[in-house]
Amino acid sequence: MSSPRIDTAVAPSQVYFEDVELNVPLETPGMTLTAAHVTLFTGLTQDVSPRDDGFVPDLLPLCISSGLGWRVPRPPLAVLAFMGFEWRFLLHLRVGDTIRSISVTNTKRSLREGGVVIEERRIVNQRGETAQAGKLTLLVAKRPKP
Amino acid sequence: MLSLPLVSSPDETFSEDLKVGQEYTSPGRTVTEMDVVLFAGLSGDYNVLHTDAEHMKGSLFAERIAHGLLGLAIQQGLASRGEPATAHGLLAALKWKFKGPIRLGDTIHVRSRIVGLKRGAEPGQQLVTVERQVMNQRGEVVQEGETEHMLERRKP
Repeated sequence: MSSPRIDTAVAPSQVYFEDVELNVPLETPGMTLTAAHVTLFTGLTQDVSPRDDGFVPDLLPLCISSGLGWRVPRPPLAVLAFMGFEWRFLLHLRVGDTIRSISVTNTKRSLREGGVVIEERRIVNQRGETAQAGKLTLLVAKRPKP
Repeated sequence: MLSLPLVSSPDETFSEDLKVGQEYTSPGRTVTEMDVVLFAGLSGDYNVLHTDAEHMKGSLFAERIAHGLLGLAIQQGLASRGEPATAHGLLAALKWKFKGPIRLGDTIHVRSRIVGLKRGAEPGQQLVTVERQVMNQRGEVVQEGETEHMLERRKP
């Protein structure tokens, strides 16, 4: 006998395309960048560039911001695919810095299957200075029809 | 063609030797389930796309796929083993497109070409623009974009 199928696609707590609100800023909790993050990330990416102690790879804060984005007072976005992004690196972060991310959706475009959402995101340090910033384009699912 | 040293990295990260039009091909790397699990833990991005095999059976992709940003991070590591100097400079900007999924077990490599060289804001700094394509084992472009790196000129 097969086990019962659990339909995770209709888990109640997701924000679908129709639910995305424009121009509502969402701020994440902080994350202190540690030597452990850097060691794990460098091992995972196999980046062999010579770096000094305390150097944080530029892409690491961006990657952490995607996880921090799940920890806002809103259910997670029903992302079907990450389509692309444009990003600027303004301050190079160091081990010991604490980052958080602030994002706001400013464009929604409906397609037949899902819709495109453009999110402006910036990563700030413990002094509130913007370290990285840019625009992310996501394909988001529409609410399943009953 | 992988004619460059596969693991060693140059200790010089200066920009005088770069020319527009120079091209590089990185070594390849197989993206594994462990890469995806580690990246999920490190980034905190546990999206079902990357973590729920059962859910993904019924999806467009039919299986779990690697995080787009994991692909980006891995290609940066691969580029550091392929591009002699550019990949070692600090990143100044990125424009990136995720064109197709990287599936567990896919082997990717990076092709890059220098498309721009200009002076940076500080004396002695140079901005290098590189076009990169991430290809899988079938020759499909799965990610592509432009990276801009800040390099120092060799000290006089």
